[in-house]
Amino acid sequence: MDIIVALWFRNIKIFARNRVQLIFTIIMPFFFLFVFSSVFKNQNIENPVNYMLAGIVITTVFQTSLTVATSTIEDIVSGFMKEVLVSPVKRIQIAAGQLLSAATIATMQGIIILFIGYFIGLKFTSWITPFEVIVVMIVVGLVFSGLGLYIATLVKNSQTFQVVITAITMPLTFLCGAYIPLSMLPKVLQYIAYLNPMTYTTAFFRTIILEKTSLTTNRLVAEQLAFKIGNFVITPPISMVIVLIFGLVFLLLSTYVFSKVDFSRINRSKSKEGDIFS
Amino acid sequence: MTMRNIIEVKDFVKKYDKFTAVDNVTFEVEEGSIFAFLGPNGAGKSTTINTLCTIFDKTSGTLMIDGKDVTHEKDAVRSVIGVVFQEPTLDNKMTVLENLIMHCHFYAIPKSEANERIQFVLNLVDLLDWKKAMVSSLSGGMKRRVEIARALLHYPKVLFLDEPTTGLDPQTRAHMWEYIVKLQKEKNITIFLTTHYMEEAEICSKVAIMDAGKIVAIDTPYHLKQQYTKDKAKITTLDEQGLEVLLDMAGFNYKKKNGYYSIEVNNLPKLMDIISDQKASITDLEINKGTLNDVFLEITGKDIRK
Repeated sequence: MDIIVALWFRNIKIFARNRVQLIFTIIMPFFFLFVFSSVFKNQNIENPVNYMLAGIVITTVFQTSLTVATSTIEDIVSGFMKEVLVSPVKRIQIAAGQLLSAATIATMQGIIILFIGYFIGLKFTSWITPFEVIVVMIVVGLVFSGLGLYIATLVKNSQTFQVVITAITMPLTFLCGAYIPLSMLPKVLQYIAYLNPMTYTTAFFRTIILEKTSLTTNRLVAEQLAFKIGNFVITPPISMVIVLIFGLVFLLLSTYVFSKVDFSRINRSKSKEGDIFS
Repeated sequence: MTMRNIIEVKDFVKKYDKFTAVDNVTFEVEEGSIFAFLGPNGAGKSTTINTLCTIFDKTSGTLMIDGKDVTHEKDAVRSVIGVVFQEPTLDNKMTVLENLIMHCHFYAIPKSEANERIQFVLNLVDLLDWKKAMVSSLSGGMKRRVEIARALLHYPKVLFLDEPTTGLDPQTRAHMWEYIVKLQKEKNITIFLTTHYMEEAEICSKVAIMDAGKIVAIDTPYHLKQQYTKDKAKITTLDEQGLEVLLDMAGFNYKKKNGYYSIEVNNLPKLMDIISDQKASITDLEINKGTLNDVFLEITGKDIRK
């Protein structure tokens, strides 16, 4: 437990020290808000700014947790992971430390954006809503840090990993309805979006944060908080279950693979520094 | 008093796919000694160290450290070894102190002791004033010292140093060796290192020469040199003809170089007779032991520095 806390604290410290990254990750969402909120104006949506804001909060949580968890690869490449691997620390403890810190950082960022969003007009009528929102953010943070850690264990070459991350985050971010309504997408992309776990994450999160849990199914479908695939309607609770299953699979998979993977192979491909010296 | 073996390796083989990096290696290391693996890049030194440190898995053979099996008792082995790898393994995004504190967490060093130990190891490598510095701001030599300090925090019985001085300037290298010898003397830590610097191997209690995955010779530096190299004498004399006649008669191999004779000493008493016979005309005399590089050259037919 002590080790998990120590690793958790380390990652948060590193994140807090990187001021440029911190400011950038706070400014970017509002830039997107400004650019994309007009897109939602023509849609069948009550309050496009809040609707958009909710999408931005959850995609930020998603992107941050994924990026922080995949930053494990930096530790592997920098050599620090080797120090960890020769110590009596269990790998599962390292995995837990990485996952928890990624989820924490992601949630903190979500809260910061929510806080700024409050001044733009995002209000809650029930005092329970903010707590629900935070719980959902923590869960979503954990879910996608699981995916991130899993990706990190698959990377064989440190140079290609940035490309891999972008190739994964971009479609997941833009094909989930957070920035562009799914109804505006071509049919093919809509079907792809239905395979995207972020689609369900966004829908569920919006339902909670915009306090729309009591809407009728038709209304939910109209506001794109529920999806009609054929005759079957994926309501927000079903979305939640989908996300939870997805998360559970990747959390288990990533911890398992992380405990088994042979990191020496990655190190071997990168040890150019040693070559220069010898 | 017989020393106990802290490291015992028997019939160790490590293969990568089809390539055999370490080919049936057997050796022991006595507790409290400095043991060196000497050999060119790619000889299998790092592979052996990495396997002993539980990072790589062996293909076959047995490797024991402090009576514990490296393959089956990984955690027990990990807690008695300290490792400084060839490539840096410090956490660059943290300060020196934070790196050391993290290490204390990893090795479950009680909080009450951690501070005292950190002071102790930092003092040992003269880095007390650099506690608060970010690791990324340190020079290569300082980073290596932090790594050594960190590797000692949990009081390991064996300290592995993989090429501890590669990439450091000569002065820093000399300092590094002061620390290493001091450690071995004061703490009775067994030091296992790899190097391709001859002069470094000279300091060690025992040297294993490795080439192409095999140990080709293993002994003290002195014995290795005695066994595989011939001493060379350099003589400068006024009576060159007189010396040549005597050397030819006694059957010595010699060469005349600029101003002196270089003689292979295969029979020291005979050479001493010649020297005393010629003492009136000999103006300069020097007898040199062979170097470990000569040993390597003799055994493998290769120059290690190539």
